[in-house]
Amino acid sequence: MFASLTDKFQTIFKKIKNKGKLNENDIKNCLHEIRIALLEADVNYKVVKEFIDSLHDKVQEEKISESLSPSQQIIKIVNGEITLTLGCKQNDLSISPAPPTIIMLVGLQGTGKTTTAVKLANYFRKKGHLPLLIATDIYRPAAIEQLQVLGEKSNLPVFSMGKNESAVNIVKAAIKYSSKKNNDMLIIDTAGRLHIDDKLMNELQEINENIPLQEKLLIVDAMAGQDAVNSAKVFCDKIKVSGIILTKLDGDTRGGVALSLKKVLGVPIKFIGIGEKVDNFEPFHPERMASRILGMGDVLTLIEKVETAYSKDELEKLDKKMKDHNFDLNDFYLQLKKMKNIGSVDQIMDMVPGFNNLKNRIDVAKLGDREGELKKIEAIISSMTVEERENPSIINGSRRKRISRGSGTQLSDINRLLKQFYQIKEMFKKGPKLKNFSFN
Amino acid sequence: MNIKNIFSQFKEGLYKTRKEFANKLGFLFSNSKDKSDFLEKLEELLILSDLGTSATAEIMNEFQQINFREYKENNFIFFKEKLKVILIDILNSTAPDIKINENRLNIIMLVGVNGSGKTSIAGKIAYRLKNINNDIIMVPADTFRAAAVQQLKILACKVGAEMINTKEGADPASVVYDGISAARARKKNIVIIDTAGRLHTKVNLMSELEKIKRVIQKEANDCSLEILQTIDATMGQNAIAQAEFFNKSLGVTGIALTKMDGTAKGGIVIAIKKELDIPVKLISCGEKLNNLYDFKAEKFVEALLD
Repeated sequence: MFASLTDKFQTIFKKIKNKGKLNENDIKNCLHEIRIALLEADVNYKVVKEFIDSLHDKVQEEKISESLSPSQQIIKIVNGEITLTLGCKQNDLSISPAPPTIIMLVGLQGTGKTTTAVKLANYFRKKGHLPLLIATDIYRPAAIEQLQVLGEKSNLPVFSMGKNESAVNIVKAAIKYSSKKNNDMLIIDTAGRLHIDDKLMNELQEINENIPLQEKLLIVDAMAGQDAVNSAKVFCDKIKVSGIILTKLDGDTRGGVALSLKKVLGVPIKFIGIGEKVDNFEPFHPERMASRILGMGDVLTLIEKVETAYSKDELEKLDKKMKDHNFDLNDFYLQLKKMKNIGSVDQIMDMVPGFNNLKNRIDVAKLGDREGELKKIEAIISSMTVEERENPSIINGSRRKRISRGSGTQLSDINRLLKQFYQIKEMFKKGPKLKNFSFN
Repeated sequence: MNIKNIFSQFKEGLYKTRKEFANKLGFLFSNSKDKSDFLEKLEELLILSDLGTSATAEIMNEFQQINFREYKENNFIFFKEKLKVILIDILNSTAPDIKINENRLNIIMLVGVNGSGKTSIAGKIAYRLKNINNDIIMVPADTFRAAAVQQLKILACKVGAEMINTKEGADPASVVYDGISAARARKKNIVIIDTAGRLHTKVNLMSELEKIKRVIQKEANDCSLEILQTIDATMGQNAIAQAEFFNKSLGVTGIALTKMDGTAKGGIVIAIKKELDIPVKLISCGEKLNNLYDFKAEKFVEALLD
């Protein structure tokens, strides 16, 4: 019922895929469904309107109805349009030529500023900088402590002066402090505020006027609705926001807000937050986001991640095994272990074309995602004989009982594991061959 | 606090939302060229309020059938009344308000995605119940987010409610177990449980919540349990998925709509009620401890349209 935008698009394209030629009515229906899908993804009403109008013109221009493979052309056009709206190239953060570089994070309450501040600091440390986090949320109970605890966990320094100093004074003191400690990257965590709260918006303006800020980043929740454009607009008007960080993209939201913000404000989206861990943080890639929205899967990201986890030889070997239907429990376990390094199974499924709509059928999310699940699988597989691992079909009832005793697990665990194994095997048989998204 | 006072505050909090909606509504009516123009503007208005495509389509359908000219010649009030009736009809619920059962232990558990306002509303609920002479114990089951326990502690102190102690990283279900035991030992009648924010798609985190519920059912089988999901008024259609998943896992008894003091309309609760029939029970607009109100469909819609 609450199909994501990706699923929507896939349904739309499936409908038109089987048609050789499209008539005017088909195009109208297709555009209508794209419109509904975009609205359900929380793309702003006005942005959708412009988007559909422009799409309509393009479709007319390209004479879709006379073309031989209309569905592919429409996909291409829609993808192109979304990419165009999102902005064509990746926008990195600018570094001040005269250190320190000072970055301020702003946004509504609960969008993830504090978490993002720490992620950003961690990102810069990896790039060889010496970051300092500055706690200026003097309003929310325990906000300063939150930053301190997070900083401590990641071994990042946090500057704070308690709740009785003004935000701008805290920042000034932090700059002085940083020059002694050689911190070249200062990240200011501010209090969450409503855009219509004049007093707090003035506070931001005061910092903006008195501190040489290199970047002013607006933190936006990827699940935000239609009003996101309005609040973001006020932040942009008041302090000239230089970039956007989209948070909580690890859920099932399609993040239509990304499309709206870029279109309405012209401010680039620079990073995305994709999880609760400090390194669940990536630069934003417009073309990847567009293809993810379209259900083409985030192939580029996956390839990058697969490349770091697998050697080319390994990948070819695996692909051959799949092809020859020799994929056995040994491989299964090895793959689970590798996948764990790439990301959760769920995350991977999201990135592979054709797999994201399998999610409903298989409970893959449970696979290897839970702590300890992998250990259990390891125990079960190592309690099997070599023969059983290579040819799981021989595992009958009495063998299952033996394996269960040997591994100290329940019979149901073994049944589930075997079921999952066959599902994965089946998926690879039907799904795209690994070669299709290996190195090109 | 008298009832009249509560309503005037409620309206005041919703003032910005209300003014904008009502202004647009007036404009919408007086500036429409014909029926299709009017319907398009109505659609825009509803979508921009986050009602979602499905609820919007239903409302549009109702207006398809009216004789537009007749409405126009009469006046704006007819149209407004019709819209009001439709919205109230969707939002109305037979579910009871949050009531404190005097003969039992009352447990109120707050759940929701990250940043939706669980801890703040836990403080507000405690404040309200404390003011009508309840004995409250607060349970910080968010042992994951840094300093979440401290945040709740500060709020508990302000309210003058007790909070059981725990430390970061503790098993949330065992914290809840301790909370219930403490409530019994100290003869408290209300337990308020603040849980960690989690995205509804994280299977393991959702089963953590299910475990907490199991502990409650086992340790306080006779309690009156209210599971409130916080929905941030600025959220879009994903909030429907949030409500669906949390409800599937836990059986949510009601929604607490938060952050209504901004310009977002919170129309998503209309979509949630329509799709999933989960009632809105509380509404929070403002950062003060007393900015919490019982949700009344009529008042909510009236505040939007008047």
